[in-house]
Amino acid sequence: MTCNCVDAPVPPLFGVQTLFAAQHTSESCGANGLPLTPNSITILGRAQKLRTLNHPNLVLHLDFIRKQHGRIILVSQYFKRSLWTETNNYLLLLPLEKVLSWTHRVLDALTYLNSNGVVHRFLTPQYILFDDEDNVKLFNYGLYYMTNSGKNITFPIGKLKYTAPEVLVLDRDSYKSGPKTDSWSLGIIVLELLLGAQLWPTLKLSQIIRKILSLTHCTDVVMRLAREMGRLTMYQSLPDELKDFLGKCICMDVKKRLCPKELFHHKIFSAYEYSKILMNKCYSCKHPLRQMKLDQVYYLWKLAGGDVEWALKKKGLLRNESPILLLPRLIILEGTLYGNTRNQSSLLDLQIVELPLDLLVNRLQHLKITDYDPLIDQVNKQNDTTEKLPLVIREKDTEYQFRRIILFDRLLAAFPFKLDKLLIEAKKDIPPFFRGEVWACLLNVCGDTESIYMSIDKETAGVTDRQIEVDIPRCHQYNDLLSSSVAHKKLKRVLKAWLVSHPKYVYWQGLDSLCAPFVYLNFCKEHVSYACLTAFVKKYLNDVFLKDNAAVIREYLIKLSHLIAFHDPQLANHLDEKGFIPDLFAIPWFLTMFSHVFPLHKIFHLWDKLLLGDSSYPLFVGLSILTQLRSTLLNSGFNECILLFSDLPEVDIEKCVLESSKFNDATPRSITFRKYELRTETREYDPCLMYEVLQNEFSPRISIYDLVELKSSSLKFLVLDTRPQEFYIEKSIPGSLNIHVREEDLVDENFDLAPCPELSALVNNRGSILIVVDNVFELNKVRSFCRFLVKKEYPKVCSLHGGIEALENFNILVPAIMY
Amino acid sequence: MANRAVPQRPNGQTPGKICQFKLVLLGESSVGKSSLVLRFVKGQFHEYQESTIGAAFLTQTIHLNDVAVKFEIWDTAGQERYHSLAPMYYRGAQAAIVVYDITNQDTFERAKNWVKELQRQATPGIVIALAGNKLDLNTMRSVQTDESQTYAYENGLMFMETSAKTSANVTEIFKAIAEKLPKNENTNTAGQGRRLVDSAEGSNKSLSSCCK
Repeated sequence: MTCNCVDAPVPPLFGVQTLFAAQHTSESCGANGLPLTPNSITILGRAQKLRTLNHPNLVLHLDFIRKQHGRIILVSQYFKRSLWTETNNYLLLLPLEKVLSWTHRVLDALTYLNSNGVVHRFLTPQYILFDDEDNVKLFNYGLYYMTNSGKNITFPIGKLKYTAPEVLVLDRDSYKSGPKTDSWSLGIIVLELLLGAQLWPTLKLSQIIRKILSLTHCTDVVMRLAREMGRLTMYQSLPDELKDFLGKCICMDVKKRLCPKELFHHKIFSAYEYSKILMNKCYSCKHPLRQMKLDQVYYLWKLAGGDVEWALKKKGLLRNESPILLLPRLIILEGTLYGNTRNQSSLLDLQIVELPLDLLVNRLQHLKITDYDPLIDQVNKQNDTTEKLPLVIREKDTEYQFRRIILFDRLLAAFPFKLDKLLIEAKKDIPPFFRGEVWACLLNVCGDTESIYMSIDKETAGVTDRQIEVDIPRCHQYNDLLSSSVAHKKLKRVLKAWLVSHPKYVYWQGLDSLCAPFVYLNFCKEHVSYACLTAFVKKYLNDVFLKDNAAVIREYLIKLSHLIAFHDPQLANHLDEKGFIPDLFAIPWFLTMFSHVFPLHKIFHLWDKLLLGDSSYPLFVGLSILTQLRSTLLNSGFNECILLFSDLPEVDIEKCVLESSKFNDATPRSITFRKYELRTETREYDPCLMYEVLQNEFSPRISIYDLVELKSSSLKFLVLDTRPQEFYIEKSIPGSLNIHVREEDLVDENFDLAPCPELSALVNNRGSILIVVDNVFELNKVRSFCRFLVKKEYPKVCSLHGGIEALENFNILVPAIMY
Repeated sequence: MANRAVPQRPNGQTPGKICQFKLVLLGESSVGKSSLVLRFVKGQFHEYQESTIGAAFLTQTIHLNDVAVKFEIWDTAGQERYHSLAPMYYRGAQAAIVVYDITNQDTFERAKNWVKELQRQATPGIVIALAGNKLDLNTMRSVQTDESQTYAYENGLMFMETSAKTSANVTEIFKAIAEKLPKNENTNTAGQGRRLVDSAEGSNKSLSSCCK
């Protein structure tokens, strides 16, 4: 029963903590000869899983940030009220029903964590939080998991008083705490709650350890603890079921102690009727931001200028020291440092800093309540000027991204319905927040991909394992997430799953780069990465990963050559003269769809558009990269050209994407027709040609279907009929130009067309698509004439596939009218 | 970048003598071919050097007495599958460096196969150097120096153990090759790289036959 109001205040929703990962002592390296992965990166990789955990009694994890010197910053949902504050530091004695109700919720949350392979290990009254409606929210449950059972940090996890005895006794490196350590901690907490007193409030750490270890000798641990708290009689008056419950938690023998799942079903919870406890219902007005998903709010908060580090700095948890103060006195040759004074702020302080949302609220102040919940069909009617700004600016604009997130959230939820609308919006741009999901939709990934992925054997050793293993540790490793060992494992599994499920194909170096963006974007959803990779390869790289892919690759490359000749004759002539063929530079482009050539942030923008195009689109991307570098290329010899591509200069991706769309729109489909692309049918007059034929042609061929379509399109074109005039008069394409040339004339390098009305018509139509037509047997003449036109720098030269004869069946030939 | 500034002077106009040589790097993947070239050409080293697909091209000039030796280096992809592309790069090369990883015996065996292939199919008289890379990982060594030394001697190869990471023997191996290459007038042809393409076009038939 809450109402939404844009003027309602928004309390801080997020809390930040920071800690340090253990540093590797010296410059050591792993078994593969590479440096050891920093622990902070390992933590970052493991922590991602925590973002997927979702339970009504757990806070959400929102972000993990890695900083210099192994610092990790954790951002999660946070509430100010905790068990500690609610009981006024245990001074308040609470009704038994309330305690039991909370305990049951904690156990439910712990059971959920355990089923996901996570143990809390840091259960304290301070980390049992309550939201506005008094729901229990466990906090800080991921620390033990993300640090690989505390192996990647130097400090112990847990508050000593609540720590189970076995944790203190057993070796930290070899022993991993199980779910039952949480049972002990919870037992102590519940005991304190019930007795309304703190255990050992004044003891020093060493004394507490001694106390805990001394419990080994006692027969009734709980009673002993109650006595220590000075509340023995109160304990004895507790119901027997409750004492039994506490005994099952606080039990020295781990075998006899119950785990949270068993405790959840303890009879004490059926004995009391606590479900009717009045919850603290919140009737006040709520800001509509609070109806949004928390990760979306966090994302927008960051866009609005929210700065986690600044919040920490303000609290003194993060301090800038001048670098000279951080220098060690001595570094020995193998790399160990001595005598660097410890920075105060590098000591462990798990204090939680709240992040105020004012920045975001102010930024969105002028929005109406309906902006938070618009009707999707009306969204595009707003004429937003932001839409015309460059992509990088749009991606940083809080309000624009707010609207995009609201919109895409609905469109994605509706998928596959509203796909047409999704496509229209994706064409404008894809909000980075939803990129992974939008890509999956664009690739038409749906159905139960998870069980398909689960059923694939990703573990059995295969022949290419060695190759995959040496490639993964150097695949996009500048990215923190992808350089973590968790990412390496994921990448390997997805690659292996793809290989196993596609026995026709093999692993080619480069497949790893291709897979990386999908793994990065769907980090916790391997099955989606796999499904995306599968769909992507099928659409854009059909048969490229065959063991013998020479034919496929060569066709691809020759098509790029044809496309260059079609759109940029000057460049094509130059490259041809220098012998600079695409085979020398474009293999990694197409084999990996540019994922081996560009860093991730560029691949994202490139693929945002690529995924909206058809299987020929990558060719236009290749062409637009070349045209972007054309002035350098035109002034370079062979060596300079090849050097340019060995170390690709900065390419403006947004420009590249725009250009490639333009090229794509200005090119009839059959120009890029490839025999090996995936298609449902090949029509009779499609230019399906052998490589040997393609190789001998400088310009592409156009199909009759496209010629017919051109008549009704806005593209300008001109048909050049090179047959002798008498044939032309008898039967020709209406509107075509007759320029009769003889094959033997074209052999002459200095051949040129004699001035005539037709020549002026040709010159006047420079820029139109020029379609050369002759009899089908005059193939060589047509080729030579096309080459001649390209030499003369006529753009958009192509020849009609099948010659004039092919037109017979299309009923368009008419006798020519001569003026 | 400096390498690009090397002017391509026509023959005869140069004060000293300029010799250009085409050199190709071959070897199993992740043995450090690209790292060797990067160290030699730019003096850099990347721990996580990305894999090479197809091939990369770089140039570097070194000076031997009064002769400037310009290397046109083709750094090839290591994966066995890219083998079919290799002839396009080693054909016409005057020198080759076959690289293996001293911590991995298999890569040494693969290097031997490359040597065999070069001796059979590359330009007669090609200068072949064998490089045992990753010397910085000496403690993890599995290919003994003696073994490679003997092999190199028996097959008439130059041999050095190198480390792209510490730059040990990197310039040295290129220098040694440069010294061994004949520096008479006929090798002094400008635009050597062009040859690659001539042969690449000519090799298309053989390329297809070895791909199948």
